[in-house]
Amino acid sequence: MREKLKHIFAHALMNLVRAGWGGLASIATIATSFLIIGIFLLLVLQLNALVAKWREQFRLSVFLEDRITQTQLEILEKRIQNEAAVRSITFTSKEEALANFRQELKDQQSLLEGLGDNPLPASFQLKIREGYQSPDALRRLSAFLTRLEGVEDIQYGQEWIERISNAAYLMKALGIIIGSILTLGSALIVSNTIRLAVYARAGEIEIMRLVGATKAYIRAPFLVEGMLQGSLGALLALGMLFAAYRYVAATSRLASPLFSIATDRGFLEPSMMAALVGGGALIGAIGSSLSVSRFLKT
Amino acid sequence: MIQMYHVYKTYGKDLEALVDVSLHIQKGEFVFLAGSSGAGKSTLLRLIFRDELPTSGQLLVNGRNLVRMKPRAVPHLRRMLGIVFQDFKLLRDRTVEDNLALVTRVVGMPALEGRRRVAQLLKLVGLSHKANMPPYKLSGGEQQRVAIARGLMNDPLILLADEPTGNLDPELAVDVTRLLLEINSRGTTVLVATHDLKLAEEAGRRTVFLKKGRIVEEWP
Repeated sequence: MREKLKHIFAHALMNLVRAGWGGLASIATIATSFLIIGIFLLLVLQLNALVAKWREQFRLSVFLEDRITQTQLEILEKRIQNEAAVRSITFTSKEEALANFRQELKDQQSLLEGLGDNPLPASFQLKIREGYQSPDALRRLSAFLTRLEGVEDIQYGQEWIERISNAAYLMKALGIIIGSILTLGSALIVSNTIRLAVYARAGEIEIMRLVGATKAYIRAPFLVEGMLQGSLGALLALGMLFAAYRYVAATSRLASPLFSIATDRGFLEPSMMAALVGGGALIGAIGSSLSVSRFLKT
Repeated sequence: MIQMYHVYKTYGKDLEALVDVSLHIQKGEFVFLAGSSGAGKSTLLRLIFRDELPTSGQLLVNGRNLVRMKPRAVPHLRRMLGIVFQDFKLLRDRTVEDNLALVTRVVGMPALEGRRRVAQLLKLVGLSHKANMPPYKLSGGEQQRVAIARGLMNDPLILLADEPTGNLDPELAVDVTRLLLEINSRGTTVLVATHDLKLAEEAGRRTVFLKKGRIVEEWP
């Protein structure tokens, strides 16, 4: 058994070395395919992170009537708090609103001098649970809130939320479609490359067959070789992707504050990297064993 | 050792490669299979190492029925056979020695025994001094001797040779035939397909003539 394993691995490594440029070409092809998949995956992740960030920062404002009493205010706060959609609620009084406004205006505070009475309304700021951030759910929530006593107006940037959720939906759909096309495409390219490498060794396979090698004996080293090529290719792709990512993340942080939010999230998750390397090994193994089978009728 | 009963082999609809061939070869015999190209010699050899199955008829090798043999038993059949081809089928990217050592690994022979066997066979075919050369640096006759040595690695009961002298000059052809006769004298059954009637005649061994897939004559 140990002798056999030794043979399989020694043979696979030897073949990899013997394949020389051909073997490198296979690894490079696999790496290129996985690089494209990796870039795509990273983009999807970043965009998802961006959307998640937007969602996290999303607030719904409930503006209150000026003549609301303290009791009404407390009752209203309770009722809003009890809504399933509401994750948290903060109160901003008229005075706080004015103070905030002043701070935002900073240098142009003179604009406020003619105002006399404080015209700004008190309000509740609601954070909404993620599941309730769809345009429909928000419309329902805001209709409900408008009817409550003491509520003057609701604002939550309806157009924005629709755009974001459309974008998120589109990304998911495109992600699945493009992702599957890319994966299928690389699987085909990789198995073709490996097939060429196996064809180049048709003579060796034939001789082994003729001197009485079993199918498993012939197939095993090719299988291991394919797995090695596949996982090496995927690792190479991850390495390149990581280097490129570090570079882009560093420069884009200066260029675009928007992108920097997303890049804070970091590189691909370890489980995804493992899946990519495992996927490489799997594609390599399948590609090579399919190719070898052509030479192994008996 | 080899028994064929009314063997037919047809490719596609009507390409008859072998027609009603019945042939018996005893243990230790040396037999030439003679005929022009396309006569069915190679097909007959391929049936014996079960690269192909007969369309009909029965075929026994060392008492085992190849028609009913399970595919997984085929490697074990082939370990009883040595097979040599006109084009040698040596691997260019490794030395003469490694070409032979391939067999020891395939059959799981211990490394030490394998090395001893390689050395022994290279000596038999007179190529010990070229063990570390790649095959393409050897002459055609030498390459065929390496191929024969490889065919003997498993210490086969039967050595099958398909036009082993087809690519060789007449003198080298005589050399290779002499080597095959010597191997036969040590007890291995040898079956040689050839279109070179003169070679068969000179060797003076049993010769079976094939024409258009049929056995048409036998000598003596």
